[in-house]
Amino acid sequence: MAQLPAHPLPPFNAVAWTVAAFVTAAAPHLLAMPIWLAGAVLLVCAWRLAAAHYRWRPPPALLRLSIAGIGIGLIIFAFGGLWGRRTATALLCVMLAAKMLEMFTMRDLRLVASVCFFLIATQFLFNERLVYLGYLVLGSLLATIALYRIQEIRVGPGRADLAGEVVGARGGALLLVMAVPVALTLFVLFPRLAQPLWGLPDQVMDGRTGLSDEMSPGSISNLFLDDSPAFRVEFDGLPPPPEQRYWRGPVLWNFNGNTWSRPFFSDTPRQSFVPVGPRGLSYRVQLEPHERRWLFVLDFPVSGPDTATLTVDHQMLHRHPVTTLMQYEVVSNPDFVDMPSLPAGLRTLATRLPEDRNPRTLALAAQLRQRYSDDRELIQSVLSWFREEAFYYTLRPSPLGRHGVDEFLFDLRSGFCEHYASAFAVLMRAAGIPTRVITGYQGGFWQAGSQYLLVRQSDAHAWNEVWLEGSGWTRVDPTAAVSPARIEQGARSVLDAPRHLLDRDWIQNLRNRYDRIQHLWNRWVLGFDHQRQQRLLERLGLPDMSVERIALLMIVMLSLVSALLAWLVLQPRRLSPRSDAEKAWQRMLRRLRRQGFVKQAQETPLEFATRVQTGMHPAGPEFMRLTQLYCRVHYGNQGSETARFLTGAKAFSPSRT
Amino acid sequence: MNRPTEATARSAVGNDLERALDQVNAVIVGKKAVVELAFSALLAGGHLLVEDLPGVGKTTLAQALSVVLGGTWQRIQFTNDMLPADILGVSIFRRADEQFEFRPGPVFANVVLADEINRATPRTQSALLEAMAEGQVTVDGQTHALPQPFFVIATQNPLDMAGTYPLPDSQLDRFLLRTAIGYPSAAEERRLLIEPDRRDLLANLQPVLDPARVSQLIRTAAGLHVAEPVLDYIQALVHATRSHASLRAGLSTRAALALIRTARAHALVRGQDFCLPENVKLIFPALAGHRLQTMPEAGLSVDQVVAEIIDATAVP
Repeated sequence: MAQLPAHPLPPFNAVAWTVAAFVTAAAPHLLAMPIWLAGAVLLVCAWRLAAAHYRWRPPPALLRLSIAGIGIGLIIFAFGGLWGRRTATALLCVMLAAKMLEMFTMRDLRLVASVCFFLIATQFLFNERLVYLGYLVLGSLLATIALYRIQEIRVGPGRADLAGEVVGARGGALLLVMAVPVALTLFVLFPRLAQPLWGLPDQVMDGRTGLSDEMSPGSISNLFLDDSPAFRVEFDGLPPPPEQRYWRGPVLWNFNGNTWSRPFFSDTPRQSFVPVGPRGLSYRVQLEPHERRWLFVLDFPVSGPDTATLTVDHQMLHRHPVTTLMQYEVVSNPDFVDMPSLPAGLRTLATRLPEDRNPRTLALAAQLRQRYSDDRELIQSVLSWFREEAFYYTLRPSPLGRHGVDEFLFDLRSGFCEHYASAFAVLMRAAGIPTRVITGYQGGFWQAGSQYLLVRQSDAHAWNEVWLEGSGWTRVDPTAAVSPARIEQGARSVLDAPRHLLDRDWIQNLRNRYDRIQHLWNRWVLGFDHQRQQRLLERLGLPDMSVERIALLMIVMLSLVSALLAWLVLQPRRLSPRSDAEKAWQRMLRRLRRQGFVKQAQETPLEFATRVQTGMHPAGPEFMRLTQLYCRVHYGNQGSETARFLTGAKAFSPSRT
Repeated sequence: MNRPTEATARSAVGNDLERALDQVNAVIVGKKAVVELAFSALLAGGHLLVEDLPGVGKTTLAQALSVVLGGTWQRIQFTNDMLPADILGVSIFRRADEQFEFRPGPVFANVVLADEINRATPRTQSALLEAMAEGQVTVDGQTHALPQPFFVIATQNPLDMAGTYPLPDSQLDRFLLRTAIGYPSAAEERRLLIEPDRRDLLANLQPVLDPARVSQLIRTAAGLHVAEPVLDYIQALVHATRSHASLRAGLSTRAALALIRTARAHALVRGQDFCLPENVKLIFPALAGHRLQTMPEAGLSVDQVVAEIIDATAVP
């Protein structure tokens, strides 16, 4: 037989609120773990509810212990160890579920409900998007209500009916509302550090793809199905026209016949100085975390944030992979001439091709080279060939074999931007023209209402740069030759067919609207960093605050806010005055308050008058006389004396006597 | 404690009530508030339970009251071998005219002092308490009306619990007010030590009122004006007992009605012609104390909770 617990079993409603808080807090974590593990956790929650309903006793200690042990074993099995954020949060979920098996005292209930807050907070290690604000509010609300109900049990048996639950829920909600000013103070004044306090070691993309540092057929078209935002840009002044919105990411030089990749020298910092130029563009980018070091910029970046370096091929590389939302300012000069003369080493690198690959392409290049001695003419002829021959732009290209470029150029003739960029580069290199492949994003959706450019993952793109005598590295986009609409109107305009129901216009509209709110959230909440904090404080007249001073200010403000809240909560309910006499009486009280005599709410008028008199206030006797008159008017049935009281009250002036 | 008597007219009441109070206060030194409570219970038509140690003046208070009220008075010393007949009276067979004759018990008096009421068995206690509630006594199928006004002052010792039968809640409710008397202050005690024996003072006491006048005063009290704000205050206090976490249950509507009745009587005793929040505030502990019970986990006494409620309730 199970031993009887020392305490009575907790009532069903407290257990139900606690389980609800846990399931809500664990929801995103459960979605991220294997389905059988999540199912097991939910099963334990269901058992706990049933146990509360049928008044079952807790299972024996040995069974509880072994279930906890099995839980750890399952985690190791599912995640291959006990390291990493996902593993740690999953372990927390599973152990809390195990705790539910022995959650039969007030103390255990309170523990589970309290840890729910921590569980909610851990979700923000993975994702800080706006939707999780709703999750945060709902989860905290349920956990607060659970704590409120648990506390009520200790004080006395709460009402068990539905009305009682509503009262409990309202109590919890009120507590949460009272926490809002404290939270806001903490948010604005908590000292921000330039670096996060903890490193974020492993993948947080959760299966979402971003632009990779390599390009092989299909690597970008995968991204095309992903509508999530890649970054947002605000411009000083007007944004550049769509055909100039080439967001430069990885620059690829090496080709092995299938995949384009970056050489080591690509990380070398740039030595050359790029002037701002007459058409210099200044803009701010809000980059979603993408786990890589690129900061996307327009050609050619002049300057960027201090934490980033500009490489020799004009990539902007951040010091660390971008794991949280990041904001940076860039100035670009579109008219810069990159490398008027090409060093011999780079020329070799930019014309190198793998051997024994794509013989037909090589033959075509040789043929073109014979016909056109001028590089520019050769390029034009290839582009017009792309344009005039039956090349198609498609999302569903066929897989390519060993001579991929040959197959693409001569047999299939349908593909996505990476096919065109790759084929074009191979053709150019075969003809002896230095060429590199640039991947990044092209275009973006201009949110006219909020004045920012939204660039989605589906805007990922690949294009080329060729080196030409006199104009240096020059951008050439073969995809534009095949499908000008892709460049001018955005990737979505060239779809073969709507991908799914979500492509309806009004849904797209809603998504764009939602993104504006997300943008504001990113800008004012997630992007509220050290600099913005400093700027805000400056505007409030507190310039040049050190971290220590901000911390001090925060402590002072927190004390003030808490004191204000306490005053509001402890304030006795003010009754609105019903008569002229009562209003006049309250005016008298206000005058006396300035003299340091404050009437307590629980004091009767005569008690207060006595206190004023014994307090040796010179106006004491007069006040006592008026109070007696007021009592006759207010509590008695002598309405006839109202006028006399009002006159006396009006003349009453404790400061002059 | 300030008495607003200067402010409010006594004219409606007359001086005899004031003189009666003064007479009792002359005997019971320094216990004005308790004397006022006792008069309030009387003029509200209720009964008083005094819970205190022996020797603080319970009996003297009852005796002084009975003398100034001008009616008859009886004292019943309760013991555990007492029977209901010892209180109510018996019917005895009279041989002379071969008829039953009812010999009234000590309960037939205007003022009854029931000393140490918790020493009697529940059966005997309930005989008295029924008489208190009904205002009449039924013996052998015959109903005998008790004299009017009828006022019981019961006492019990809260510390000496050995061999007692504590009054059940339902019966405690029959007492309108419950109060303690308390030790006198040092100066007052010195006066008691110097001055002549209280028994001599009692012997010299003269009746001021008479039963008919007391009945009239009870009617006057019932008609006193209670303004809306005072009603608000009463409701707020009663409501606070219902939502207080440390209390088992709140005050009933009957208790709220009793509160208004007693507040009126208290106002009359103080010579006011309308009710003030002070009246409510002063009688509330005596009225609520024995009608409420705290949760054992709360670790608070009822008196503490009641004081807390008064302190937390705003006076409108």
